Amino acid sequence: MASIQLEGVTKRFGPVVAIHRLTLHVQEGELLTLLGPSGCGKTTTLRLVAGFLIPEEGRIHFGTLDVTHLPPEHRNVGIVFQNYALFPHMTVAQNVAFGLEVRGLPNAEVRSRVGEILERVQLRGLEHRYPHQLSGGQQQRVALARALVINPQVLLLDEPLANLDAKLREEMRFYIRHLQREFGITTLYVTHDQAEAMVLADRIALLRDGILQQVAPPEEIYRRPQSRWVADFVGLCNFLPGRVLGREDGFLLVDTPIGVVRCSGTADAGRVLVCVRPESLRPDAGGTNRIVGVVRERTFLGNLLDLQVACPGGVVLRVQLTPTQDARPGEPLHLEFRPQDAWVVPEDG
Amino acid sequence: MARAVELARPEPRRPVRSAPPAVLLLLPAGLFLVVFFLVPYVNMVRMSFLTKAQGAAFANVVTLENYLRIFGDTFYWRVIGRTFWLAGLTTVLTLVLGYPLAYAVARASGPRRPLLLMLLLAPLLVGAVVRSYGWMILLGRVGLINQVLRALGRGEAELMYNILGVLIGLVHVYLPFMVLAVAGALEQIPPDVELAARSLGASPWRTFWRVTWPLSLPGVFSGAMLVFVLALSAYVIPILLGGNNVLVMPMLIVQMLLDAFNWPFGSAMAMVLFGLACVVLWAYVKAMNRALRWIPR
Repeated sequence: MASIQLEGVTKRFGPVVAIHRLTLHVQEGELLTLLGPSGCGKTTTLRLVAGFLIPEEGRIHFGTLDVTHLPPEHRNVGIVFQNYALFPHMTVAQNVAFGLEVRGLPNAEVRSRVGEILERVQLRGLEHRYPHQLSGGQQQRVALARALVINPQVLLLDEPLANLDAKLREEMRFYIRHLQREFGITTLYVTHDQAEAMVLADRIALLRDGILQQVAPPEEIYRRPQSRWVADFVGLCNFLPGRVLGREDGFLLVDTPIGVVRCSGTADAGRVLVCVRPESLRPDAGGTNRIVGVVRERTFLGNLLDLQVACPGGVVLRVQLTPTQDARPGEPLHLEFRPQDAWVVPEDG
Repeated sequence: MARAVELARPEPRRPVRSAPPAVLLLLPAGLFLVVFFLVPYVNMVRMSFLTKAQGAAFANVVTLENYLRIFGDTFYWRVIGRTFWLAGLTTVLTLVLGYPLAYAVARASGPRRPLLLMLLLAPLLVGAVVRSYGWMILLGRVGLINQVLRALGRGEAELMYNILGVLIGLVHVYLPFMVLAVAGALEQIPPDVELAARSLGASPWRTFWRVTWPLSLPGVFSGAMLVFVLALSAYVIPILLGGNNVLVMPMLIVQMLLDAFNWPFGSAMAMVLFGLACVVLWAYVKAMNRALRWIPR
């Protein structure tokens, strides 16, 4: 097992820059998700780490070993592809045994290790099935078993859950996390699904147009986004344009269209955006940042009540309340949010 | 409640018109085959059991004489053997030469792909006769190759009117069929499958033999079958490039029908060729199905 280090890696396809000077470290035993919209370069990054692509600039290390120009078969990497890429002409057992056989291990050892790993992913009894005779979830577990059985230095997962139905996807998130912890293997996990990234990741790396935006644990990404784009991409967010007036009691005072609000952040002066998550807005209980608005839209989401509230200064806030707190369109609504739940980001970007 | 909802749903005004039944779709081609293929074939089977006649195609006297003559004479066995051997060798050579080409076609991208396909298919635009004459210009005693050899003082090579000439002609004509079949199968292989093999530690060479080659077998098998059957029944190429030195069954059959005007015997030879081809293909398909067990059915 080893850490993965990308140092200033650039990858171009013709005139298109897919990855621009990416520096990213995945710690030993850590699960890092690469999150971003489609076309942001996350799969390219994974393929660079796997050795399917060679970067034009920069170096890639596994631990202390420079693997930048090492062909994939010498990298000892386990990969699970989005479509699983199982060998259709081999049975489950043959698929899993492949990596051990090409390593020239004795038959007895291959057999016992295949049996062991199939036990761990709960596929015992399906050894002699062909991939097309398996369900999507089973194919997924074969792919995992095939990647893990070779004791890889690092595990790479490319949208491994994208082809499963919603229910199974939810289950498999926890299963993959459990498996990764059990093996303690350094893992790079590519996804465009932020919920998946939240559940799975020790840290999330956000990628946009081949440029790294922020790397942090899920909670920090959600609560302390570094830019408007990050705040917008992960979860829902209200943005209030404003101007920093100063500091008071450790909080920033920002002048916004709905009045002066207290919030957290690192900015000291100038124009900023105040980010307030819809669920941070709650019925007024006499707190710090208080607003009155009129309910315009009301949508029942089951576990949440989604409201659009028209506020002074032409600001429309998205508010999510628990359904026990009802509000009807046309009714006035008194709201507040805590200073620690309002986060300031730079206005640009 | 559920039922009320069910009832409230509006009836579709007109049922979606389904495709015509399969029988109707098969009819035109089926009719054509019955009239121009099945009826003549049945007639040939009948003829092969009848007797030769003077001044008529056959006499209505039932006999096994024609078949006994074929099976009893080693001359015919040798011709049959040569026919199958030539077809088999043509198949193997088109595969050996065609596979790398098919790989290049399947992996080509951008403008190279249509260009390669055009180069591959261009020879098919010229009929077998014209192409064979083209080969004669190259391979003949006073042909281009021998002129060059003579000019270099290397004497002369027998390139035509022997097995070599026929093989060159057959391989050339049937190569595109093999390439197209194999390229089609290669294109079906998802690239990630090969990458998966590489990541699991297999070298490019090993990846080819363990993954790419077995996954291309459906194309190899169908291409081989196509080329084999075509080569088995080839007539123009053997006669033009082999002369009378490379006697194969189709030549013998045509001679029997047109020159000797012995229709019953010619029919019997055709039936023997057909029957043996069926046996070979049956065994081949059985072996093929065993090798391709993994394909979902």
